[in-house]
Amino acid sequence: MDWDQFDMNPKVIAAVKKANIKSIKEILNLSGADLQRLTKLSSMDVQCLLKTVSGTLRKSCVLTGAVYICTEDVFPNKRLQQLIDQQHKFRADVPLDVIQKIKFGNSIFIEHVADLDTFYNCITKRITLLLSRGMVRLVVIDSMAALFRGEFGAKDSVTKAKYLQTFGAKLHSLSSRYRTPILCINQVTDAVDETDVGQSNFGLLDKNVSPALGLTWSNQLLMRLMASRLTQSQQSPVGALQHIGSVLRTLRVVFAPHLPQSFCCYAVDLEGVKGVKVKSPL
Amino acid sequence: MQRDVGSFPLAPGLRAKLIGAGFQTAEELLEIGPCELSKEIGISKEEALETLQIVRRECHSNATRTTGEPETVKKCTALELLEQEQARGFIITFCSALDDILGGGVQLTKITEICGAPGVGKTQLCMQLAVDVQIPECFGGLAGEAVFIDTEGSFIVDRVADIATACVQHCQLIAETHQEEDFQKSLETFSLESILSHIYYFRCHDYTELLAQVYLLPDFLSEHSKVQLVIVDGIAFPFRHDLEDLSLRTRLLNGLAQQLISIANAHKLAVVLTNQMTTRIGQSQSMLVPALGESWGHAATIRLIFHWDNKQRLATLYKSPSQKESTVPFHITPNGFRDVHPPPSSQTPAEIEINPRKRPRLEGENQ
Repeated sequence: MDWDQFDMNPKVIAAVKKANIKSIKEILNLSGADLQRLTKLSSMDVQCLLKTVSGTLRKSCVLTGAVYICTEDVFPNKRLQQLIDQQHKFRADVPLDVIQKIKFGNSIFIEHVADLDTFYNCITKRITLLLSRGMVRLVVIDSMAALFRGEFGAKDSVTKAKYLQTFGAKLHSLSSRYRTPILCINQVTDAVDETDVGQSNFGLLDKNVSPALGLTWSNQLLMRLMASRLTQSQQSPVGALQHIGSVLRTLRVVFAPHLPQSFCCYAVDLEGVKGVKVKSPL
Repeated sequence: MQRDVGSFPLAPGLRAKLIGAGFQTAEELLEIGPCELSKEIGISKEEALETLQIVRRECHSNATRTTGEPETVKKCTALELLEQEQARGFIITFCSALDDILGGGVQLTKITEICGAPGVGKTQLCMQLAVDVQIPECFGGLAGEAVFIDTEGSFIVDRVADIATACVQHCQLIAETHQEEDFQKSLETFSLESILSHIYYFRCHDYTELLAQVYLLPDFLSEHSKVQLVIVDGIAFPFRHDLEDLSLRTRLLNGLAQQLISIANAHKLAVVLTNQMTTRIGQSQSMLVPALGESWGHAATIRLIFHWDNKQRLATLYKSPSQKESTVPFHITPNGFRDVHPPPSSQTPAEIEINPRKRPRLEGENQ
């Protein structure tokens, strides 16, 4: 790592070189106190060092890591390990040694939150640290609906709306400030009333489900995708040709400022999620 | 004049006598003559005269100070206003049905509000208008520039580039059928790069930034006098979280509306806002209404509501001082905001496009 390229005090650069620190990642993985001990710099200098280094990393658009905020069950670690192990098969286009060098597990940060206040604390304080250091470039929240399930009755709709608006605004500001995409997972509820279907389905009438959390949450989003499984009858003419054994699913754009309402098909394999080319129109 | 007696430059003893006699405001002092004043508070007639002169002079200069600014009250007749309005152009939306119900397009000097559920096409229309305001005059546009204030981050440049490219191609087609020189000349300056470089983009993250941006806008506009359109995409978003005090929110929104109206009038430009929808729970059913409350409904002159009917997008003109309430369908295509069916070609399309300002205004203009 060429430390001279950074726009920092020469004393700081010399101290970093002397401490034998090899990469930006090493610096970011250490706490402020550890860095002070290793480089023998003052805390002001250490803060300056962290700021410069993470700023460089953020600007470079290098994908570094991800935060996965789990609100429901325990994070499926076994499946993650499976995906990591199979990555070389999944990405056969990348040379084997490049993939083997990447320590995927080290870059995935998992948070478990069970209630609204913990969630708010997480997005305001905890992941801000990771984001500001440039250690993560993706935030996944699985799922938003689980946070609100069972807690709010019909008369608490105002409180629920307030929470949703606060979360939405906070996530927007994080995404904008640290140039990080935020992926939220939401569930669906059955559309009971005829009038619901028209307005809340945003023109996708062939579904009899509508997204959970209602209009308030929809107003916070930039774009929305809907994933669904094809029923057996829809699958057979197409599925048999392409993918024997896996269930065919579709991912559809519900609304986005820059995309038409198109869709694509995919299947979930041992190695991961793969796109499927559909020959006949669905 | 409700100015307090104690605020005038009078001797303290005199002030105490005045207040002791019951004189609180300047108005009371101005009503009586010097003889009565001297009798009331026990001072000589000369002193009373002097006091009244000071008070009168102060009040007079106060009055002139507030009206001394260049904004004198202008008088003009309704006929002059009509002529001004007819000479002014519109910003077309490329959906002729929508332009028709609006009376020609988005009007200058007025605030137009677009409400709708997420994904129905509000931001698309805003992006289309930001491109359309720049169309050269010979093609029926205003040759203006646009300011885009984004609060939700939904302005995607790639999409604007697509819309702009389609618009340039549209004008090129017209120029080809009409081999006139000024068409070709305008096309030289009307390109993708020039369109994108004349959309001034501001990103505001909360209501404080938005208010600051709007209050600083007049300075920006005086430097960029060709701006004919100000878009605020997502006026509801920053005001619907963070603000616990609803009366504060109403005050801030009213101030914002006043500022936008004054900008629209002073600089002769159109202001377009987008608003969210919210559910109002009635007695028996719930319905979708525009967000930000009833008092915000008075801010916009013209209100459009976008909604779905099965799979068709519809635009309803909900509030307008001059056009009647109607609903038209529209499409969002890869080229932008368009009609559902192409408009009937009673005249050659090129003739309709050229200078709509010169079109005879007969039916549809409700006088």
